[in-house]
Amino acid sequence: MNWHPFLLSVQVGLTATALNLVVGLALALLLARRQFPGRTLLETVILLPLVLPPSVMGYYLLLVLGRSNPVISWLDLRILFTWPAAAIASAVVGLPLMVQTSRAAIAGVDPTIENAARTLGSSELEILWRITLPLAGRGILAGLILALARALGEFGATLMIAGNIPGRTQTLPLAIYDAVQNRQYVQANRMVLIMTVFSLVSLWLVRRVESSYGRTTKKSRTQIWKASGE
Amino acid sequence: MFKATIEKNLKHFQLTVNLEVAAEILVLFGPSGAGKTQTLNAITGLTRPDRGEVLLNERLLFRRKVPGKAVDTPVRHRRIGFVFQDYALFPHLSALDNVAYPLRPSHSTDSKSQALAWLKRMHMVHLATHYPGELSGGQQQRVAIARALAARPELLLLDEPFSALDSAVKESIRNDLKQLQRELGLIVLYVTHSLEDALDTGDRIAVMQDGRIEQIGNVEEVLNRPANSQTARILGIRNLFRARVIKSTPEALFLDWKGLTLKAPPRSAEAGARVTAYIRPEEVKILYPDRAVGGAVRHNRVTAFVVNRAPTAGGYRLRLRLDTTARQEIEIRFSSKSYSTLDSSPGTKIQLSLRQAGIVIL
Repeated sequence: MNWHPFLLSVQVGLTATALNLVVGLALALLLARRQFPGRTLLETVILLPLVLPPSVMGYYLLLVLGRSNPVISWLDLRILFTWPAAAIASAVVGLPLMVQTSRAAIAGVDPTIENAARTLGSSELEILWRITLPLAGRGILAGLILALARALGEFGATLMIAGNIPGRTQTLPLAIYDAVQNRQYVQANRMVLIMTVFSLVSLWLVRRVESSYGRTTKKSRTQIWKASGE
Repeated sequence: MFKATIEKNLKHFQLTVNLEVAAEILVLFGPSGAGKTQTLNAITGLTRPDRGEVLLNERLLFRRKVPGKAVDTPVRHRRIGFVFQDYALFPHLSALDNVAYPLRPSHSTDSKSQALAWLKRMHMVHLATHYPGELSGGQQQRVAIARALAARPELLLLDEPFSALDSAVKESIRNDLKQLQRELGLIVLYVTHSLEDALDTGDRIAVMQDGRIEQIGNVEEVLNRPANSQTARILGIRNLFRARVIKSTPEALFLDWKGLTLKAPPRSAEAGARVTAYIRPEEVKILYPDRAVGGAVRHNRVTAFVVNRAPTAGGYRLRLRLDTTARQEIEIRFSSKSYSTLDSSPGTKIQLSLRQAGIVIL
């Protein structure tokens, strides 16, 4: 079996996840904690990749990342039809999942707890680092896993802006498409199995991460019950 | 010394607060929605007053729209400790790490031993490794106080700290708090809507209503001499009535309460003037048929009928209708221990004396 598509998918997926950790988390914090004009508009734009056809997303990315964008041409960047283009496409489609999930987790952190940290001498950055992020950690992790799973499965937009160049930009989903087109069913079966197992494991992980919070509270309730019985 | 002058427009009323607190416990007392929590938030800097000045031990923390340079010190630099109503402990940190949180660096051995010392002061050392979710309300409250004190505040604010606790736990935490206040010479501002809490905790009391402080003074003084009927009502004073002055003599002030003549403590007042007065339920004495009438209850005797009876700790609270043409109602306390044979069921006729010294004129 040719492992290149698999390794490229991992590389693209991890890069997309890193992008989502920075951009997605910043957007989630902004949406969860700040009121500003155009908030609803920003929220809607972030959600767009969930509903737009991949070809439309791909077309927009062609415009933004192509040489017709003056910034790109001034910086003399050649992004299109390289693996970073695939990573960017994967990050954009995963972004809504990351932002929605981690925003809900951050909004769930009681603002009174953050106020308590303020009265105890903490700066805003310290509160973020020591209080908000640890408390919202599970939700943020769940969002990252969902975004990663979505990024690895990305097909349409990737095809449009990174192409399907074997050995250079051909990720696993594209390789599956090629294998089926060329009637290489043994190859296709293996890759389909890998994708399916990965997706199943991701979803199972998300469920686990989100429900482990409930398990700790149940445990502490038993302890209170035990303590009061003494 | 802590001094605050705060004005802030809120949705339903205007907050206008003027406070001066020394190294003591000042209770900010008032009904829900009086603006007590808003006052604390404004002092801490969690909300910004429209106008005013906040001074803590010569440090100017806030100044806006009053003569002088505008100042707005960030919350984290104010050195004001805040114990929140629902404790606001960090759920992902153990009791010890909660208390060590304000200490720098919070993971050093020195910080841990300091935090442990604060937990010891609040009798919580044995639960230091427990997480807030594993602690009872009272235990969480103790950790919250230890954490606030670990930051070495100059002013400590407590927002309804005991509202969710049972009375035994309340009492013991209250005593610890009072002791710490004295030892550390802390300035403490304590918010409550429970009169019992206010009386048991405070050195002085500020009665608040609709965003304003109606009266401020020693607990005894405020309770015995409410500045106006508004304060009396907020304090939950019973048997408030309006009466007309009949005459003023050196030994008594004679009042006419809807046809009932009462002798009140002497006070200069013009005949015909209308006054607001009240008598605390404890000051109304029942005259037992088989006992001699003593000196203190010679005056203000009246017959009454029991309207209803509600049990209290160690006795009853009786609602009585006076046997007068106006048929006024008053509330009295009746201790079941003092005279258990007296029938106090509804409809019973009893003799009362409204003690002269117990009548308070506002």
